[in-house]
Amino acid sequence: MIKKRLYQDTNFVTGLVFSILALLLLFVWIPLDSDTGLIEKVRRQVAIGDALAPTIAGVFLLIGGGLLMLLERNGDNQPAMDSNSVIFVGRVFAMLVLSFLVMRYAGPLAVELMNALQGSEREYRLLRDTAPWKWIGYVLGGTIAICGTISLTEGRFSPRALVVALLAIAALIAIFDLPFDDLLLPPNGDF
Amino acid sequence: MATLDYVWLGVLAVFQGPELFSILGLPIPVTLLMILCGFLLGIVVGATPGLAGPVAMAISLPILISVFGYTPDALLPVMGCLIGIMKGATIGGAVPAILFNTPGTPDAFMTTLDGYPMAQQGNAKKALRVAHFASVSGDTFSDIVLVICAPFLALLVEGYLDLPEKTALLILSLSFIAAAVGGSPAKGLISTGLGLLVAFIGTGADFYPRLSMGTEALSQGIALGPAILGVLIIGAVFHELAGQWRHKEVVSCAQPQNEIGSDRLSLGDIRKLLPYIGRSAIVGTVVGALPGIGSTLAATIGYTMGRRRHHKIGKPGDPAFGEGAMEGIAATEAANSSVSGANLIPVLSLGIPGNTAAVFLILAADSIGGFNPGPSVFKFTTDTVNPELVIAFGLFTAMFVANFLNWTIGGIFMRSMGIMARVPRQLLLPVVLILTLTAIYVQETRLEVIWFTLAFGLLGYGMRLLSISPLPFVIAFILGGKLESTARQAFDATGSDPFFLFNNPIAAVFMLLSIAIIFLASHRKPEQK
Repeated sequence: MIKKRLYQDTNFVTGLVFSILALLLLFVWIPLDSDTGLIEKVRRQVAIGDALAPTIAGVFLLIGGGLLMLLERNGDNQPAMDSNSVIFVGRVFAMLVLSFLVMRYAGPLAVELMNALQGSEREYRLLRDTAPWKWIGYVLGGTIAICGTISLTEGRFSPRALVVALLAIAALIAIFDLPFDDLLLPPNGDF
Repeated sequence: MATLDYVWLGVLAVFQGPELFSILGLPIPVTLLMILCGFLLGIVVGATPGLAGPVAMAISLPILISVFGYTPDALLPVMGCLIGIMKGATIGGAVPAILFNTPGTPDAFMTTLDGYPMAQQGNAKKALRVAHFASVSGDTFSDIVLVICAPFLALLVEGYLDLPEKTALLILSLSFIAAAVGGSPAKGLISTGLGLLVAFIGTGADFYPRLSMGTEALSQGIALGPAILGVLIIGAVFHELAGQWRHKEVVSCAQPQNEIGSDRLSLGDIRKLLPYIGRSAIVGTVVGALPGIGSTLAATIGYTMGRRRHHKIGKPGDPAFGEGAMEGIAATEAANSSVSGANLIPVLSLGIPGNTAAVFLILAADSIGGFNPGPSVFKFTTDTVNPELVIAFGLFTAMFVANFLNWTIGGIFMRSMGIMARVPRQLLLPVVLILTLTAIYVQETRLEVIWFTLAFGLLGYGMRLLSISPLPFVIAFILGGKLESTARQAFDATGSDPFFLFNNPIAAVFMLLSIAIIFLASHRKPEQK
């Protein structure tokens, strides 16, 4: 019963949130973050200012939010909110952010490690298009991303997930890197 | 140059374009090969539940641009491949719908209603043949209408609409899309408002980039790729993954029964199907020509009309709709396939994308340059050659080449794709996720775009969670800049008239229609929605 009641209010809550966001946009963000108003005078001629277009966007949001609260409040298109699914997607998102951070720093760290072991002074920037250095970050980060997402979805880690991740990353390297001299895999374009 | 010269140049641009290789001295033009590759890839992704044409387009686009570069010569091979994917995915979606009761694409849902019962009765191959025949017939009809209507509509717009009317037409399109997509005008307006807002961040005429909060990342504006792919693809992947996790779905596919009787379509069968296909093709084409209305609605209308006709004239003993009637498959497939060609009418004639496939064609044109879909394309200049018009007729040719492939090899390839429905989604989706992010990175080569794409992915997931369609967001995001620049020009051209949208009769009618559409859609009774 409580759950049903919650579903019935989803449209109202969504409308309320977007109405508040629209009001903040119209009365706080746009006035504070645009240098010209709705209209401006340039050399004695009136022209459209930079604030007008986002104001129209804000009006769309405000009307949409208002209609949702007033006319579609009890509509039959109430989405069923599931907090567990949101938490799951939050976990996948966090895992993806982590894997891309690994992707970003694994290559340079590997070069630093090699420098420490061999006493060399190489830079990752100069090795970013040289195998195997250019693949270290992508393989590690990409494998974590794919294997981690599969494991989170299945609710357990499995060797199959790891094998799928490694095969997929190898295939992606074969698609994007091997045939093209001018393409850089992530994160090598950032160096 | 005469009109027919332009048509001929467009045909030649496809058949005599850059040669990739030759077989027995016969040159194989690269555009033809790319249409074939796109078409086969489209059938594969269409037949794979959880994937669809837009995913394949998103992944292919950066690879294609890397291969063909940013020259005008790249336009036809790249866009030809995307058109091939669009057409292939349309017929591919029917395969798992018929064989495993799992629609490969959302618009194939209605196909399951009669397709799966037919498969269970041992007529799977015949059901696939019906789906293929109806789909290709509808698609071909729709393409013919596109070729006839798009240039006339564009000429009409260029001839009769000035800047204020064009501004009002853009507003009318946005309002129509907001009201029509997703069944909730309020949510459509929210989606449109969000799209416009994102389009206006970091842009503007002033020296200071508006709404950038003083940050470097926002001051350059939001790029098309991360926003569109994030909301459409990454958001969909997050949503699908959450569904997989919630239900811990193990893809268990029912085995189709052994074939009973002939799987061929007889002349009598075709005669029986044609009235259903014809009606659905007209419905799909009309629905497709209106921006934002998807093939799912066309399939529903086509199926409902077909059921009514079948109920009236059906013979006793014929299977009813929903119990394995091949007319049901034909009515659905003809309707949803005839949407795809007609969907390109607003994009080619007005520059207004009507569906996700059109969004990717605009993205391709925008990335490569040299072709700006819109009324200016159809300028039949006589003293000089208008290269954009040649490209437009090249695209029409590419569509008919894809149709030819569809008629000849499409059916055979489609019927062999049943295996794709067995690929577990929980393994496929994470690979698609990284594939999409890699495809975006190799184009932009900044990790920043990955963060933006993931953030827009979250937005896309949130929108799906709240039953807000992401399509108005994407279309508003694409049209936002154009709307503002047209409005600025119109305002200046009318001597800073603040009522420039209402002083002109055509513009005023468009504006009144914009308001009326939202008002009427909001006041529909719930059961009509």
